[in-house]
Amino acid sequence: MKKRGCGIGSMWYGIGNTGLPNPSGAFVQVLDDCTVIIHTGCADIGQGSTTVLAQIAAEELGVNFNDISVICADTGVTPDAGKTSASRQTYISGNAVRKAAQSAKETIFKKGAELLQVPEEELILKNYQLNSLKNYNIQISLKEIMAKCREDGTLVIGHGWFNPQTKGLDKRGQGIPYATYAFATQWVEVEVDTETGEIDILNVVAAHDVGKAVNPMAVEGQIEGGSVMGAGYALMEEIILDDGKIINSSFSNYLIPTIKDVPCVNSIIVEEEEVTGPFGAKGVGEPALIPTATAIANAISNALGIRFYELPITPEKILNSLKTANNTNKNQRDF
Amino acid sequence: MKLEVLQFELNARKVSVRVKPDATLLDVLREDLDLTGAKRGCGEGECGACTVLIDGMPVDSCIYPALKAAGKNIETIEGLGTEDNLHPVQKAFLDEGAVQCGFCTPGMILTTTALLAKNQSPSEEEVKVALSGNLCRCTGYTKIINAVKVAARNINKL
Ligand code: FES
Ligand code: FES
Repeated sequence: MKKRGCGIGSMWYGIGNTGLPNPSGAFVQVLDDCTVIIHTGCADIGQGSTTVLAQIAAEELGVNFNDISVICADTGVTPDAGKTSASRQTYISGNAVRKAAQSAKETIFKKGAELLQVPEEELILKNYQLNSLKNYNIQISLKEIMAKCREDGTLVIGHGWFNPQTKGLDKRGQGIPYATYAFATQWVEVEVDTETGEIDILNVVAAHDVGKAVNPMAVEGQIEGGSVMGAGYALMEEIILDDGKIINSSFSNYLIPTIKDVPCVNSIIVEEEEVTGPFGAKGVGEPALIPTATAIANAISNALGIRFYELPITPEKILNSLKTANNTNKNQRDF
Repeated sequence: MKLEVLQFELNARKVSVRVKPDATLLDVLREDLDLTGAKRGCGEGECGACTVLIDGMPVDSCIYPALKAAGKNIETIEGLGTEDNLHPVQKAFLDEGAVQCGFCTPGMILTTTALLAKNQSPSEEEVKVALSGNLCRCTGYTKIINAVKVAARNINKL
């Protein structure tokens, strides 16, 4: 028989290293032709941080994304940005890049204020143009400012770094382990075959509070990838040790989800802006897979009326539990 | 070990290369011909990262003896499109966000190309069957499936 059930999993996750300083730094230079170079130690391992950091700088400097080049993760030339881990790069390196862009912008504003004869506070930089907020007719192009800077030998270079405000944990585990948290809830629908023990994940709805989705498509990609990894964790992935050695270290005996195992994942991006984040952004990398296994285990229990306390929930485990449950029922009847 | 001469057609060009008799096609492509688009994920025919097209069919080049390629027509990701002139499948993968770390991407794209050459409008199930030998750890596959559908639509429009 096939039985269906639904389950929910919720989580919070601290962004950055637990109760430890974990700073990130960046350099930004605006060149004469208004293109921008960013140097950052942030390693993009596919999550899209290079794109996101370029977007953040573009937004801050009022230039196009295509005019930004990012030199990243080269310990020979880029400033330390810490690890790509703890879902921290958008939040921490994002802030570092934003601050570096702001510091480059100071030079632009100073020069602009001088040329336009208005106070710096009155200026806004957008679309390669510096305008007075009080009188929009007072304006100068970024190109002109860069030319003036070149004339008098001023380079438009900024640097910035950011370290999330944390406090180490005391003996009782009290402190401020993280400067900000990601939140998520996932809902999963499964179908369990009681003859074979096979579990089919039919639907996943994954709602994630990311502060601000700097790049919504990349956020979706993280959520989809994370929930599928979470499904693997729930249903099939298990490292088997023998005498301290991993005995299933190949794709033929350590199974991960293939394209045939994936459910339809519906992402819901929740944007509750984080005041300390770059344009309100936090992180989403790991949070995407944290609630999935819980939601799946709950859905299976909803379908079968049996709780599982150990992962992965394999077809063997399902069949064994069904058998035990049957026997207990029988015994109870006989009694 | 004595080297043997191997000749085949690679990305529409004739090549001749001296190879060890026990070399795999992946070894020859990556080490001798400097084509590093095909990746070594597992080296045992499980992940599809090393996929190339041999006479139009997707094959795991990590377990394909190089000498068996003699006289055959081999296509790798390097032969598919150029940076300025992407193949429609490559373009669809980029547009749909179907690439994260990129390790599976060359294999995914070549397998998709072979599928679309045979079947111009595959159903979702047919896409899944065709790509079931290509593992991806990053994307969760959702955007890859979308990209294949978009590529099919765009190719049909050409
Ligand atoms: S490297 Fe060839 S299948 Fe994995
Ligand atoms: S994009 Fe990383 S494995 Fe597919």
